[in-house]
Formats: sequence, structure tokens, C-alpha cells
Amino acid sequence: MGEVIVITSGKGGVGKTTTTANIGTGLALQGKKVVLIDTDIGLRNLDVVMGLENRIVYDLVDVVEGACRLKQALIKDKRYEGLHLLPAAQTRDKNAVTPQQMVDLCEELKKEFDYILVDCPAGIEQGFKNAIAGADRALVVTTPEVSAVRDADRIIGLLEANEIRNPKLIVNRVRHDMVKRGDMMSIEDIIDILAIGLIGVVPDDENIIISTNKGEPAVTDNKSSAGQAYRNITRRIMGEDVPLMDLNVNEGLLAKMKKLFGFKPA
Amino acid sequence: MEQETRGIVFKGNSEGLVIVVPEEYGFEQALEEIDNKVSNAARFFKGARIKVTYRGANWTSQQEERVKSVLDEKSGAVIESFTKDEESRQSPAVPKQHQPAQPVSTRRLFFAGVDEGNCKFVRSTVRSGTRIQYDGNVVIMGDVNPGGEIIASGNVVVLGVLRGMVHAGADGNRDAFIYALSIRPTQIRIAEVIARMPEEAEDTHLRPEIATIRNDRIEVEPLSTRALG
Repeated sequence: MGEVIVITSGKGGVGKTTTTANIGTGLALQGKKVVLIDTDIGLRNLDVVMGLENRIVYDLVDVVEGACRLKQALIKDKRYEGLHLLPAAQTRDKNAVTPQQMVDLCEELKKEFDYILVDCPAGIEQGFKNAIAGADRALVVTTPEVSAVRDADRIIGLLEANEIRNPKLIVNRVRHDMVKRGDMMSIEDIIDILAIGLIGVVPDDENIIISTNKGEPAVTDNKSSAGQAYRNITRRIMGEDVPLMDLNVNEGLLAKMKKLFGFKPA
Repeated sequence: MEQETRGIVFKGNSEGLVIVVPEEYGFEQALEEIDNKVSNAARFFKGARIKVTYRGANWTSQQEERVKSVLDEKSGAVIESFTKDEESRQSPAVPKQHQPAQPVSTRRLFFAGVDEGNCKFVRSTVRSGTRIQYDGNVVIMGDVNPGGEIIASGNVVVLGVLRGMVHAGADGNRDAFIYALSIRPTQIRIAEVIARMPEEAEDTHLRPEIATIRNDRIEVEPLSTRALG
């Protein structure tokens, strides 16, 4: 039986789609059967980031409306064994799908895949409700900005209200030089406010922009520091105990983070 | 009693308030004096719902409207009606007591249970977008994050860091207090007094603090026996 993980943030532009693409690809590289679902109907991106845009025939809305079979809509990524994408419709809106339809869809996919990653749209409206409907676990993505942390806090509250317990935090686009100078919120500051377990810290890396534009997730690039961070997150999702990357900060913080990082094997 | 010589007198009755105007007063004089009296007693009226009647004067409906707007504005109470007292005979109180009882809510001016009374426990962190509203005291067993709101008619105790908005004594009780392991809110309110935190460098360690009203201002101080007394 597979597991449904929703990747969400509240605020737009913090890296949900990039995170979904990289973790999904990372899990596939570890030999897992993975499907990525893009629930951002009307503003789909995941297909572009994955470089699979030109292979879309059917989409999520076609599946829930019964216009095609689920198998027909799943795009198999030929580069990575076991990786599939269920793209969003571009010409419809979020109301074309209901939360119950998402629950049914996730149940169906769980039978066949190890991991179902749901890329959530920004906001807290219908699209968000659809995305979290079938989820077993949640990853909350934020960046070290006050606005992103504020939205993440709201999202965590909504996840808890929807009985998705124990969401994990990914802090994206961290610049350690700025944190050191005191110009950027530190991981500790963020954890202090959000009070949830940390599953990974992704450094700001220009390789991400290059790889995103090329449609090749950075997780496959051994030279990319963000890619390394995503590989580590992937292994933690699978239940391995991977220490956090050297963050170049004082020991007290590191020790504290290890304590906070109470990730249990699945 | 002494209303003939002492100017305007406010009296309570079972329905609310009676304003007794000396017969020799002109309208403007009466209005000015009502304004003064109500402004001084605003703290007393805050949050109440009352019916107001008057005696001893014959005002036109426009004049009644002006007095009502002064009462509305200055008292902070909800004025349900403002009319001339029909039973201007001097002994209405005795027969009225035997009429069916009026709802007692008109007597209550604010939640007084700040030493004991109803209490709500919230066993989680109050996150952005969550609003806890309660007619009584509230205890939060967690933090209150920015964007979260606590509105209580009594005291608020936060067993965590207070970063959001808290309104204690929300229906007007100035004796209410706010307690937290660290008070760093976006805003705190007690009764009708609002305070923002000074924008100083944050000190991050936990130190229990209490916010109370002193001299019409909200003061936050480290919790000590002195602050408790």
C-alpha cells in the first residue's frame, strides 16, 4: 500500500513544484514506484519542470470526469524507471475537482505506487482542499522570509484541522552567508515559530534555475548542493536517518536541530 | 432625593437608566451636562446594553436623537432605546417589581470573573488565522503565533510565547490581565486600551511576564510577587 504525501506552503513561489519534482525523481532513483499529481489546475507547472509538457494527452480533470482511464492519463517518465506524472488541466479551474474525487483517486493510486506526491497550489481555497483531501502526510515548504513563514504557520494550522498530523518542514533557499550576517532568518528562528519537525534544508542554488528551465530535476546533478539536499530529504522520507548537511553554524544550534528533527522511520 | 438642586441625575431601574432633568434646564445645558457625565462614567457603561428614559423635560424627536447619539458615542454602551419616561408619576418602582422579571442581562456590565469563573483551555498552539473567542478566561497551552487572535472577556494566560493578538477583558473589564512566558505580541488589548510592543531588539529567552492596565496604559513587566499584588 502506497503513501500519499502532499507538498504545500500557502505562499506562492517558495518552491513547492521544484520540491515535488526533485523528491519524486529522487524516490524513483531509489527504486520506488512514484506518481506525481499536479493539482494546480489552470496554472500547471509540474509538467514543465519535469520536461514532460509535450507528452500530455489526458489530465487530472479528464480522469475524475471519466473521460479517460487513469492509466491513459499517467505519463511515464522514460528517463527514470518507476516515475509517473498525472498532469493538471490548464483550461479548467480548481472547482473542476472535488475533495472526494481526490480521495478516491489517491486510494486508487495507492494500490499500485509506493509514493504519491501531490503538488499543492498556492492559497488556502478549493485547490488546497483538493490537494490535502487524500493525503497521509504533508511536507510544508517555506523560505526564510517572514511572509512565507507566516503563511506556513497558517497552513500547518489548516493541516491539523484536517487531521493531517505531524507535517514536516522543508526550508528552501537558505543562504548561510546571509544567516551568518544576521540578514536572514535562521533555521532556528523558523522552527521556533512553526514548532514542527524539520526534514530538510535546501540551500539557495542557481543550479536549480538552470535545471528547472531544462526540465531536469537538480536531484540528478551530483555537483548541485540543492540536489544533495533533495537526495537527503528523499532518504529521510524513506525512513533513513540522514544527518543534516553541515550548516556552517555553531554547535548549539546543530544539537538543537537534531533534537527537533524527530523523524521516525515509516 | 436631591435631584431638584443638583442638576442632572442618572438613576438605575430594572430596565436600564433614567435621566432626570431639572425642569429649569434648557436643552443645550442638559445636553452638555449629560455629555460630561457620560464621558466620565464611560468605563462603567462599556459593553452594556441599556434602555434609557428621561424625565422632567419635553424634547422633540430631533433633540432626543441628539441626546441618544451623545450617549451612544460617549458611553460605549449599546443604547437600545431613548424615550421619555411614560410613568413620570413619582412612584413607579413598587408596582413594577411585581411584573414578570426582565432578562437579567441588562444588569451585567462586563465579565467580572477575573479571579475565578469560566475558563477555556486550548491544548495547542494558536496559529495564524485561528481565532479563539470566549466569554470567560482563556488558557493557551502553547504559543500564540502572529495572525492568531485570542478574544476573552476575562484573563488570558499563554503557557508559551505570545506573538499574536490578545484581547483580555474584551467586554470592558479593566482588571483583566494577560500572562505569557514571553510577551512579544503584534498587539495586546485590555478592555479598551490598546498597546503595541516597542520595536526593540528581541530578547529571545523565556521570562514570564504579565500585562495589566496601570494609569490608563498597558504595562508589561516581569512576573514577580509585586506585580501579582
